[in-house]
Amino acid sequence: MAESICRSLRDGSIEGEHSPALTIKDSLQSHAGTHAFNYFLCSLAANVCAGKSQARGLVLVAFSQSPSFYLSLLKRKRMDASLLTKCLRILDCYSDPLGWKEKIRQSSGPDKPVFTESDYVCRDVKDITKLLSSILELGKGFSEGRAYFAVAIDSVSSMLKHASLPSIAGFISNLRSHAQVSSMLWLLHADLHEPRSTAVLEYMSSIVASVEPMVEITDGQKGSDNLFWLGRGLQKGRFHVRFKRRNGRVKLFNEEFHIEHTGITFSTPSSENIVVSQTLLPKQLQFNLQLSEKERADRSRVLLPFEHQGNGEPIQIYDGRRSLTESNTGLNGLQQHALSIEMEAQRMQSKGEIHYIRDSDDEQPDSDEDPDDDLDI
Amino acid sequence: MAFNRPPLAGDAMATTPTVRSSSFSRNISTSAASSASSPTPGSRIGSGGAAFVSSGIPDLDRILGGGFLLGSLVMVMEDAEAPHHLLLLRNFMAQGVVHCQPLLFASPAEEPRAFLGTLPAPVAASKEERQRAPGPGHDEQDQGLRIAWQYKKYFGEQQFSDAHNKDSKQEFGNNFDLRKSIERHMLSAQNVDCISIQKFSNLAPLRERCSSFLSKLPGNGAGLAGRIAIQSLCAPQCGFSDWDMVSFVRSLRAMLRYSKTVAIITFPSFILPPSFSKRWQHLADTLLSVRAIPDEDKDLAKLLTGYQDMVGLLHVHKVAQISSQVPVILEASTFSLKLQRRRSLVLERLNQAPVEGSSGTSYGTAGPCSGSLKGSSIDF
Repeated sequence: MAESICRSLRDGSIEGEHSPALTIKDSLQSHAGTHAFNYFLCSLAANVCAGKSQARGLVLVAFSQSPSFYLSLLKRKRMDASLLTKCLRILDCYSDPLGWKEKIRQSSGPDKPVFTESDYVCRDVKDITKLLSSILELGKGFSEGRAYFAVAIDSVSSMLKHASLPSIAGFISNLRSHAQVSSMLWLLHADLHEPRSTAVLEYMSSIVASVEPMVEITDGQKGSDNLFWLGRGLQKGRFHVRFKRRNGRVKLFNEEFHIEHTGITFSTPSSENIVVSQTLLPKQLQFNLQLSEKERADRSRVLLPFEHQGNGEPIQIYDGRRSLTESNTGLNGLQQHALSIEMEAQRMQSKGEIHYIRDSDDEQPDSDEDPDDDLDI
Repeated sequence: MAFNRPPLAGDAMATTPTVRSSSFSRNISTSAASSASSPTPGSRIGSGGAAFVSSGIPDLDRILGGGFLLGSLVMVMEDAEAPHHLLLLRNFMAQGVVHCQPLLFASPAEEPRAFLGTLPAPVAASKEERQRAPGPGHDEQDQGLRIAWQYKKYFGEQQFSDAHNKDSKQEFGNNFDLRKSIERHMLSAQNVDCISIQKFSNLAPLRERCSSFLSKLPGNGAGLAGRIAIQSLCAPQCGFSDWDMVSFVRSLRAMLRYSKTVAIITFPSFILPPSFSKRWQHLADTLLSVRAIPDEDKDLAKLLTGYQDMVGLLHVHKVAQISSQVPVILEASTFSLKLQRRRSLVLERLNQAPVEGSSGTSYGTAGPCSGSLKGSSIDF
């Protein structure tokens, strides 16, 4: 299931539609979100470097870790360093997000040693439009300038610290609808924000992956119990994915993850505890009382008792039994049955015959004549 | 009391196709009542003199009791996970284009004109249309019911012409083919106005555009009805203040009441604070919501018939009731959205799948007291 996420990020966007966007959501109870983010980042970077993906380059906006961390992470995954420099650009929003170091450097004089930082440093993360333009610039810097590129944002939570929700929503929607962005992924720490911010970011993404603890922790436990669960929360947990498909349906996945020293691994869940959201459906569900076309046609063929009158044809009432046409006496089923019993009874008795002729035998079945017509009052 | 005698053969009344359900009749001019085309194409007069326009989805028109009421505000609550509100918007706008009604469209996208390219084309009336006949309507009482009546042979046949009703239905609302997009010449000949609300800092420009659109419409009587469609009014990227949006919706509703226009607004209600979401829902005259359904859900597949074709659910919360005291009571309020042959949008009631025979008691076998009851706790 995690592979299907990697595949959809790799395949990228279809012409004329928004690009797929992955939100990785975690919380304090299970804070393995960074590991999950690194996993998907590495897989996307591997695909980009190998040329298997729609995107030709990857732009990483680093807020919570320094760029050197990511470079060493990717090198640990055995990726070629030269390929990386061609396919990866990191926008450094970690070293100096608000421009304080720059101000200190300027005020203290030019004789201080200058750090060599990476090429692309953003010194003002509050200016979202400038951030957007620098990302697009970095993206265009890849080969040909017309190629697709993917965007990874290390954490949107850090962005939300500095800028307002509408501006970030506009930023993300502009990125998603940009013609050259192939796919996006970002990390969100759900309990740092109001539910509204989380709802907005989930609304703007096409895949929502949440990292949850194995067992939900109730609010009643406080104090030392919380710390106990904190340690456990890192090692394993549940990975719940909601995939928004193009036909409007939502595909749900559930997996377990384990953190090892190499990183995170996903496996199929040991116990199936899938909850069907019955709240979608109304409480009283009806049975289908409508007729299908075939049923309607059949119903129109039924000949009702008085409809044939005046046609000049012999009376044939369709009472639902095929044996009507086959029977030569023209009696209905019950009378036939009674007659056959009588005949058998007759055969069993050698002497003493009983001939029973019913009055109504003379009449045709279901005659239209009113029996009271004969009365003379 | 109503005296409803069946017309005798040779009676002059037998030629009129309308059936009187009571002895009271509304004093409508004959041109409006019996002509096949109403004076305003695209709109229909319903009960109580209320005028309806079609929503673009014939099933929805039937569910809402005629269509969207002119002068009302329709609001659609979006779902976070599925874009079904766009289906409703597309059909609404395409219906307006087909009837040449003036249309105003606002959306938070940079280029709202691009959305017009996705409007569906109307399906030409074909044999399939006639086969998919609507169920017996309330005004065609005896038509669907065949009565075997002993004295029927003494009276002439009552000819109810179905063709008349069908034609007027086709003029009122069309089925749309979602796979084909509408022809360019229909869009360019039309006065379709598009606004992008992303750049606005508040909603005053939008309010001005709406009022100028409404004032440009011709006055009462002759003239076409207008349509306003606003997509995702409280979208997160437009940073309008909550109270600003509520006052805009209120003023739009006031402007609509005295004009021959229907406005439809879709909004993601989960983005609003709960108290404001409630305010928005109360401001609507007709309130619908769309929901997504999980994919490949075995429990739902067992529970509902036709689960494979469903793309989503539509829930009707409120139906407009402007000039009448009689509320519209719906048989069911949740419907499934299906794409029939992937072409046209169909709304159906949710039907429970038949319970499997092994789990229930079976009375079909002969002899109720024999041991044919499976799994039953009752033993005779």
